Amino acid sequence: MTAANPFPSLPTHGTRKVSKWGDRIFVALTGIAAAGILALLVALVAVLYNGSKSSIQVLGFTFLYTTVWNPVGNVYGVVPFLVGTLLTSSVSLLISIPLSLGAAIFLTQQAPAWLRDPVGQLIELLAAIPSIVYGFWGLIVLVPIMRLTIEPALKLYLGWTGLFVGTPIGLDYLTASVVLAVMTIPTITAISRDSIAAVPRSQKEAALSLGATDWEVTRNAVLPYARSGIIAGIVLGLGRALGETMAVLLVIGNSPYLPKSLISQGATISTVIANDFFENAGPFELSALIEAGLILLVVTLVINIGARVILARFQLGRGGMAE
Amino acid sequence: MSSGTQSTTSTLPETIDRSKGTSRTGIYVAIAIVVIVVIILGTGYYGAGWFKTSSTTTKSTGCTLPAATSLSGAGSTLVAPLMIAWSLAYTASTVNYASVGSGAGISDITAKTVDYGASDAPLSPTQRAAIPSPGVATIPESAGAVVPIYNLPTVGATLKFTGQILAAIYLEDITNWNNTALQAVNPGVTLPNAAIVVVHRSDGSGTTFVFSSYLSSANATWKSTLGFGTTVNWPAGEVGSKGNSGVTTTVKSTADAIGYVDINYALTNSVSYGSVQNPAGNFVLANVSNIASAIKDANPTLPPGTGDWYNVSVQNAPGAHDYPIATLTYVFVYTDLGTAYGSSYTQGKAQNLVDFLAWIVNATQGQTYSEGLYYIPLASAVISADLVTIAGIHYNGAKLTACVPSIVG
Repeated sequence: MTAANPFPSLPTHGTRKVSKWGDRIFVALTGIAAAGILALLVALVAVLYNGSKSSIQVLGFTFLYTTVWNPVGNVYGVVPFLVGTLLTSSVSLLISIPLSLGAAIFLTQQAPAWLRDPVGQLIELLAAIPSIVYGFWGLIVLVPIMRLTIEPALKLYLGWTGLFVGTPIGLDYLTASVVLAVMTIPTITAISRDSIAAVPRSQKEAALSLGATDWEVTRNAVLPYARSGIIAGIVLGLGRALGETMAVLLVIGNSPYLPKSLISQGATISTVIANDFFENAGPFELSALIEAGLILLVVTLVINIGARVILARFQLGRGGMAE
Repeated sequence: MSSGTQSTTSTLPETIDRSKGTSRTGIYVAIAIVVIVVIILGTGYYGAGWFKTSSTTTKSTGCTLPAATSLSGAGSTLVAPLMIAWSLAYTASTVNYASVGSGAGISDITAKTVDYGASDAPLSPTQRAAIPSPGVATIPESAGAVVPIYNLPTVGATLKFTGQILAAIYLEDITNWNNTALQAVNPGVTLPNAAIVVVHRSDGSGTTFVFSSYLSSANATWKSTLGFGTTVNWPAGEVGSKGNSGVTTTVKSTADAIGYVDINYALTNSVSYGSVQNPAGNFVLANVSNIASAIKDANPTLPPGTGDWYNVSVQNAPGAHDYPIATLTYVFVYTDLGTAYGSSYTQGKAQNLVDFLAWIVNATQGQTYSEGLYYIPLASAVISADLVTIAGIHYNGAKLTACVPSIVG
């Protein structure tokens, strides 16, 4: 030890003492940083709760289960927006998960080497595009296509499901879900790709040596191994979909009613806050809007915690093959 | 993660994962894309003259102005283009305007965070009661009109509407463009057999206040069921869009849609707008002169600046060619700036604010910016009333006499 010491002039115990103090300060500083973030979360909840006090006191639980939001009559129920948030997020994931997984598998398993990086980087580039740009694209390009082609076709062939009742306008839950899907695809693809690329060669080679086909290798050797990473990507995508405001606001039709079908106009919690916050009907609507924000925070937390529980179970099931 | 996989692939380069060469290619491709985009945008903007500098000439002022200070206002998005033109042109003080919406403008002036608030709707009795002592004065500073815009690609002619028909469309009583009532006022026009896509404001707005109060005056059912306000309880099945620009964009991109916006949004975005029947029975297509004459002919009894403006209306003017859905827009200023803001507010700044207000309502100064931006210059009766109100603004009880800088002409 002493021979290898690059600072022989300093006595060893002296260095230790100094480094101990440095470490203490370091621990304190990082501790403060971590505590600061926790304090921020607590402060956020406190401010939201404080702001929504009058609405919580007056409306009580009716806010959570009634379906009328009427600023003129001063009656507020969050259900239509909660349903809108959950509906658009889940439909968007139904669209984006298969597409993202397919793209990630292609980019890591099948694509020729020269194609992988440029395409991969383009997909990451898509994740960096501001959401308002997606919203604008949705309004200008996607809405007419949905209205004139896709929605009439869905009505014709899948009308029997009861999911496509009403006049197709193009500004509705379905279009909002498609825009959200386009926005979540880059996130889910990029993370799934990294996670699939991290699967050890030995896994695939073992499967190949047993005579497995490409599909069987992917299905039995690659996907189970990459599962936790893929789920993490989906949770991140879901987080983006739940909170997305401007892109949804532009294409969802902004109507405070429960959905009659996928092609009716609606709203989400974040869009109603964005719409009404600055020009609210009065302090009581403001309070109700803040309470809606609180509900959105709670929903996001519950979904995140749920996803963590699933992740933890998968990681246990994988028997210590941590990345 | 990727560094770990790269080390494994280096032994077997024919499979899996990126090699160094392709990762470089990716970066080159990305850089090339960025460079190309920048060049295209750069030439485009340069060609469009964005980098050319413009210069304004300021004439000498007619009276002694105090040293320039910084003034701030906030509120209405409807009047924002005009407010911004004013603050760019005005040189006697630095004026900043935040386009945050009429509601926010009213909360900001109530909270005393700005020197003036701007709103398209006058203060409601509740809003007036919430304003702290010494209270604010209401100063109409410009005027506009709400027009029905529509998107019917197959119809070349300008459509005619009545207040009854507009109310019935927004109540979902008329749901198809080839409705008989609509056809009756548009003889000779082939209306399509298509469902009407009804678009309204999703946010609270002064434009909705004007439009819904007009529909209340035109249709009894509307008045009793929906009433008027900055937001109303729209029926299901209609589309909400945020802001005047949001409604314009939605209508423009949606065939068979109808919406309502301030006239300057209809004109600057070249979207079709219909004529509306006035009380004299004529169908009038809004333009600057027939809105200006409507405001003149409506000749509303203007309350004193500190009074209740909630029922002031310039709609349904009696003149033969007056446009019926006209509106005034307002700024709110505390009547005694020293008392309202406390000792940190200097008398010089108070003088600056009064000068600016007198300048914007001056017919040969601020008001000349209106027409180029499709706003309506104030009628002389309104300007006289404004000047009386501005003369009533004090600083700790002392009178402030406005000195109008001459910037235009």
